[in-house]
Amino acid sequence: MKRAGIALLLVVVGFLLPRLLGGSTLVYDTLVVIAIFGTMAYGLDIILSDLGEISLAHTAFFAAGAYAAALLSVNAEWGAWATLGGAIVTALVLAAVLGAITLRTREFAFSLVTYAAAVVCANIASNWSFLGGSDGVVGIPALDLSIGPITLVAGTNTQFWPYAYTLLVLTIYLVHRFRRSRLGQAALMVHMNPRLAVMSGLDGQRIRLMVFLVSAPISAAAGWLYAYQRAYVGPDLFDTYFLVLMLTAVILVGRRNLLGPVLGTAILLVQKSFLSLGAYGDKLVLGGVLVAVLCLFPKGLASIRFRRPARTPAMRSVAVEKRIV
Amino acid sequence: MNVAQQLVNGITIGHSYALVAVGWTLLLGSARLVNFGHGQMYMVGAFVAWWVMRMTGLPYLLAVPAAVAMGAVIGAVMQMLMLRLTLEQNLVSLMIVTLGFGQILEGGAGFAFGAQPQRLVSPLEGIDFRFGPVWFTAQDLLLVVATIALFLVLRWVLARTVLGSWVRMVAEDPKLTQLGGVNVALVYMGIFAFEGAAVAFAATLVAPRTPIMTSMGFDQVIMTFVVVVLGGIGSVGGSYAAGLGLGLFTAFFGALVSPAYTTTAVFVLLIAVMVLRPGDLAAGRGFAR
Amino acid sequence: MIPVLEVRNLAVSYGGDAAVAVSSLALQPGTLSGVVGANGAGKSTLVNAIAGWSRAAPRVSGSVLLDGEDVGSLPAHEHVRRGLLLVPEGHGVFLGLSVEENLRAVRSPPSSSVRRAFSVDEVYDLFPRLRERRANAAGSMSGGERQMLAMARALRLGPRVLLLDEPSIGLAPRLVITLLQAVRRLVDAGMTVLLVEQNVRAAVEVVDTLHLLERGRMIASGPVAAMKDDPRIIEAYLGASHG
Ligand SMILES: Nc1ncnc2c1ncn2[C@@H]1O[C@H](COP(=O)(O)OP(=O)(O)OP(=O)(O)O)[C@@H](O)[C@H]1O
Ligand SMILES: [Mg+2]
Repeated sequence: MKRAGIALLLVVVGFLLPRLLGGSTLVYDTLVVIAIFGTMAYGLDIILSDLGEISLAHTAFFAAGAYAAALLSVNAEWGAWATLGGAIVTALVLAAVLGAITLRTREFAFSLVTYAAAVVCANIASNWSFLGGSDGVVGIPALDLSIGPITLVAGTNTQFWPYAYTLLVLTIYLVHRFRRSRLGQAALMVHMNPRLAVMSGLDGQRIRLMVFLVSAPISAAAGWLYAYQRAYVGPDLFDTYFLVLMLTAVILVGRRNLLGPVLGTAILLVQKSFLSLGAYGDKLVLGGVLVAVLCLFPKGLASIRFRRPARTPAMRSVAVEKRIV
Repeated sequence: MNVAQQLVNGITIGHSYALVAVGWTLLLGSARLVNFGHGQMYMVGAFVAWWVMRMTGLPYLLAVPAAVAMGAVIGAVMQMLMLRLTLEQNLVSLMIVTLGFGQILEGGAGFAFGAQPQRLVSPLEGIDFRFGPVWFTAQDLLLVVATIALFLVLRWVLARTVLGSWVRMVAEDPKLTQLGGVNVALVYMGIFAFEGAAVAFAATLVAPRTPIMTSMGFDQVIMTFVVVVLGGIGSVGGSYAAGLGLGLFTAFFGALVSPAYTTTAVFVLLIAVMVLRPGDLAAGRGFAR
Repeated sequence: MIPVLEVRNLAVSYGGDAAVAVSSLALQPGTLSGVVGANGAGKSTLVNAIAGWSRAAPRVSGSVLLDGEDVGSLPAHEHVRRGLLLVPEGHGVFLGLSVEENLRAVRSPPSSSVRRAFSVDEVYDLFPRLRERRANAAGSMSGGERQMLAMARALRLGPRVLLLDEPSIGLAPRLVITLLQAVRRLVDAGMTVLLVEQNVRAAVEVVDTLHLLERGRMIASGPVAAMKDDPRIIEAYLGASHG
């Protein structure tokens, strides 16, 4: 009960955050992007923290969501709810294909193939005119989620905030539920103790595939909203920058930390918005943070505070051995 | 189609793939490490050579060793920072760290060399050989000869020297290697220095074929993945064969079907291998073959 | 006499669980000491800690003095360079390397060292079986041959003190005797050896000193002649039929 109360309070404070921070356009811009990229990072978080694998294909899921939103709204003139469905279905199909291919690969082979998949998706996106080629797709309409008489439209970032924030909160709730679900527990066991998992009758490959299918739509939904927010999609969505941003966000605070990815995203994007060093400088910062955190604090920044004081050797007080010489 | 010419092109491209991949092959075989900064190291190698030629006026053939030395230093520094993770064999964190290094190199190169495309000019590009319908440059010849030489030397070192034995020992059992009096940290550093030097060397030989940009690392690395995976993860001989095969495939696919979708076709090939023979990917030992 | 190796207040724990606590252990030069104890008593943990090596990540405290120098905090390969060598339990050779490569690919002591490192030919003389199989991959050898190879590797490194963790594991009874006699000859030639051995009956025939380890503690130590008559040893290891 108490925890639910705190969570509710956090949700309300989070919603009011832009206003508490002064409500300037820059604040709204930054927070909207944090919410979107934070959502994107949660998709990866499930794979990295719960399955223990590094998927490098999540930029592709993110981009798939964005492209689906763009093409369906511009070419087919679908509404935003329908394009959301389209984005999720696209991501599911992509994840199912990729999941089936990578079903039996582990660690670096898995990462290699997911990375290769992302590169190929980027390659296709920048060459195939159906996807707009290197020019991308422009002219995406304003977000319109109106239901019946209730008008829900967003054009500016200030108007976007409630939707981006809702998506983020829903995602965090979903991840929370996932970790308590049977699938989440099974995934953790497959990751931490594969042998025990087999003995308990868990089908590791099926679980991995299922987790993949849960994770991809999350990143895709972020991409879907990003398409409306930017009103443009292009092959730049596949940039490694997004990938590294996601990874850094997940590991920065600490893995399997429910608020970790959004806090990590926030730290990184606040630097980019308010203390930007230009494109190259931001790359340096991002890469530097990633390297420094993993080399110095492999468990994330949250581990610093909780690091236990060095224990005294457990066995100082051992009795002197008996000698019988 | 001029079959003989495509054959020559394929051989050249194939050797460039194999050469770019050789350092990584060793890395993967000996330390089970994946270096996602590989493409950016390639980019830095090309730009260092370009910069040295431009700033000092040194000829191309002297800029090559400068770039190679820089590559070795970058590799060694990377490994020094990652040593703890390497000794723990924390493969997940290591992969992410190498991505971070890639970003650092790309950002740093952006500051140092600017956003403009450049050309690394090799005088050997201007020397042509013609045999009937077939045509190639001295640069192509150098690339092929240097690649074969490097692979032979690497195989010889791995199979015949004490240094090579240490690398194979680290690959099999780093802990036990310590009990042979070998400083495993230094071996890892050497392996990384080789990776850095080899990819920089590859860059100086391959990059004159196309304009260079500081953002080219990402694309560059894809073929390396395919070579390493198709070659049997860490097998030196295998990655040479895979590089060559892939080069021929690229040349003929480009000529017969479409150059724009070569990468995609190669990826389909990769998928086919992964789905049909997943066992090959689980391996990772016995890379000295 | 001044001991060549001295262990003081050595405590080892795995993730908080204490595994070994030995307040003192000294090896006199040119002697063969045996460590015996039940499975899980901490024998391997003890010798690994002395060598500064482990496959796991135990917490180790205390000091290990080799010729008076505290080597306790040095990395494993530095122990090796100073002549403190370990032949670990079980897997002690590189299966992917040939017998000869296994023997050559060690970092032998500098020629200025007073330690005597065996040449490849000398270890072949000691273990003729290895010479016959010099070109074979170590992975194709039997368990006993691997044990010989692992020991031969250690000799190549010029041991000052040799720690042997159950070298006779998996060997036929006759081979155990042969192996232990070979160890005895090395000791007679001046080497200092600490031998962990399950086969107590065979061990008491060759060692000078015997240590009994139980749940991480050294519960009895002494010259083998006296220890042979220790009721705990007789009861647990030598059986009623003995003396
Ligand atoms: N890697 C490890 N992690 C946790 N505990 C360990 C580890 N290795 C050993 N132990 C524990 O330490 C204790 C001593 O183990 P050790 O291997 O030293 O025994 P041993 O006397 O060599 O046994 P054996 O005769 O079977 O070789 C045991 O209780 C064991 O459970
Ligand atoms: Mg033992």
